[in-house]
Amino acid sequence: MLREKKRTILYSLGLAACLAAGITGLTASADEENAGGVSITDMKGREITLEQPAERIVALTASDCEILYAIGAGDKLVGRGTYCDYPEEVLEVPEVNSGEDMNIEEVIALDPDVLLMSDMAQTEEQVQMLEDAGIRVVVSEAKDIEGVYTAIKMIGALMGQDEKAAEVIDGMKDTFAQLSEKATGDGTQTVYFEVSPLEYGLWTSGANTFMDEIATMLGVKNCFSDVDGWGEISEEQVLERNPDFIVTITMYYGEGPTPTEEILSRKGWENVSAVKNQKILNLQDDELSRPAPRLADGAKLLYDFIYGGTEEESEVATEVTPAESVEIE
Amino acid sequence: MRKRPEHFRPIEYVMFSLVTLAVMCLCVCVGSVSIPLPETVRVIWSALTGQEQTSGLSNSIILSVRLPRVFCVALSGSALSLAGAAMQGLLKNPLADGSTLGVSSGASLGAVLAIALGVAIPWLPFSGTMVMAILFAFLSLLVILGLAYKLDYSLSTNTIILIGVIYSMFMSSLMSIVITFAADKIQSITFWTMGSLQNSSYKNAAILLAAFLLCGGVLFFHARELNAFAVGEDNARHVGVDVRRTKLTVLIMVSILIGVCVSIGGTISFVGLVTSHMVRMIVGPNHRRLLPASAFGGAVFLLLADLAARILLNPRELPIGVVTSLVGAVVFVFIFYQTRKN
Repeated sequence: MLREKKRTILYSLGLAACLAAGITGLTASADEENAGGVSITDMKGREITLEQPAERIVALTASDCEILYAIGAGDKLVGRGTYCDYPEEVLEVPEVNSGEDMNIEEVIALDPDVLLMSDMAQTEEQVQMLEDAGIRVVVSEAKDIEGVYTAIKMIGALMGQDEKAAEVIDGMKDTFAQLSEKATGDGTQTVYFEVSPLEYGLWTSGANTFMDEIATMLGVKNCFSDVDGWGEISEEQVLERNPDFIVTITMYYGEGPTPTEEILSRKGWENVSAVKNQKILNLQDDELSRPAPRLADGAKLLYDFIYGGTEEESEVATEVTPAESVEIE
Repeated sequence: MRKRPEHFRPIEYVMFSLVTLAVMCLCVCVGSVSIPLPETVRVIWSALTGQEQTSGLSNSIILSVRLPRVFCVALSGSALSLAGAAMQGLLKNPLADGSTLGVSSGASLGAVLAIALGVAIPWLPFSGTMVMAILFAFLSLLVILGLAYKLDYSLSTNTIILIGVIYSMFMSSLMSIVITFAADKIQSITFWTMGSLQNSSYKNAAILLAAFLLCGGVLFFHARELNAFAVGEDNARHVGVDVRRTKLTVLIMVSILIGVCVSIGGTISFVGLVTSHMVRMIVGPNHRRLLPASAFGGAVFLLLADLAARILLNPRELPIGVVTSLVGAVVFVFIFYQTRKN
């Protein structure tokens, strides 16, 4: 009995050793195969392995398109979502419907290796159909600045542009670090972000948004940090909270008063500090609302607006002009 | 069943006015930011007596935010409710409303087009949507009536409602197409379609009041004809009503009311449908009583709905259309159930 047991143990040990050897062998060969390949974890925790960096990619969100161009992989973009509009070259890329109306046939016809999308609008079925068609679906969904870094790093790995991606991330980190070091605010001054103008009902950007995160970084307090995410808010509350700064992202199409003029002319807003001191900034290009590298530009604009950087710049500009005119003479 | 008087008696006017006024006062005193009652009274009193304004928070909130909004909400409610009551009488159909006819959708398409194409009248900011909404309400009416005349000369109610439903669908698909092409203005359009009375001004209130007085007056003078219609179109013809002219007049008045309301507050559904039903249970089906009572009832209903929208999720606000549909649907089912049980 005992001998038999020993033998069994020996056998199993041997078996285990063989197995282990086999596994190591397998892994080794996988590693070899994967020399030019990429293996990433997307932002939903799905493991994705590609034999080589993606050559043809479709990106559905505007922010992912921006990241692709920022890391120098814009030429690999073969299809874009409806609302991708930056940089301008992206408009020449064929458009596919994004969101729930995503046209799967259109995507398949573009024959991409990878489809980049956010988790917001696509259903499991849609994802499955794409995977069945041999297109790797990668989810990129940044909820905060840290998430943007993750997205850039992930897309960099996907496109074989790790170094460029690291550069972009470092650039952003540097900008943010500089700005937050220079920022002297102690959170006593408040900013109100206006996402939709009074005409259509006031919407603001509350806690857990990029605008909120960057305001905090710059030492000012978002006056609607008690609202989570984006939400429609009461006009009375804006008057009561009396923000020192107003940032509006309303688009201006060239007719009627500009968004800034419109806010200045609102009845009952005369006593709001930002209106009294004309501290209103109109951002037209989604710099602060998109999880993309341009968040750093947006943060700069906001810094200049709050701490008066633009005035210095305009002074420099006026100094330059007479000198130039002298040269012309 | 007790006999109801033929007219809306003066005492009833006074009672309905008092209730409406009380609700209006409530809506001015209560809001997202709490302002003590004496303070509210003081602000309004000094504004009424033309005293020097102390520039304070409560001043701004009450005079620039709440009062104009309360006026706009009350007048929109009255206008929509009146339009609903008139349509229901005219078409002898309890489901008739600006929305079932397709006038609301037409008006919305007009307003969305105005946003997409950037239609604006230089000296009147934000008037582009209103003009386009009224224009499209009219155009919708012409198309609906034109089609109806071609298909069925007597304009029978079934024909009109069927065409209205199909027309609404057609309008919504056109709206989707406009939104697809105007991708850069998607933000404005999306927010617009949600509807909002946040930007209410005294000017908006004045426009609503003018439309309400004009159209309400004309409708009221057609109350007798509407009574005849409510019994049946043939009946109306037999008692000597100029059927087609009355129809046309009523439909035009309704489309102005709806066009103005849609352009100011977006699509607010259920008001015309629910309040006129509720009011009919109180004052009976005679349009000479029903029309004025509906105007008051609509104001009260929409004021309360707006109050809920403003304070329920403080500091957030709900779109008013959400509240009216939510409350409207429940109340509607409840009333329907009660009447069936009796």
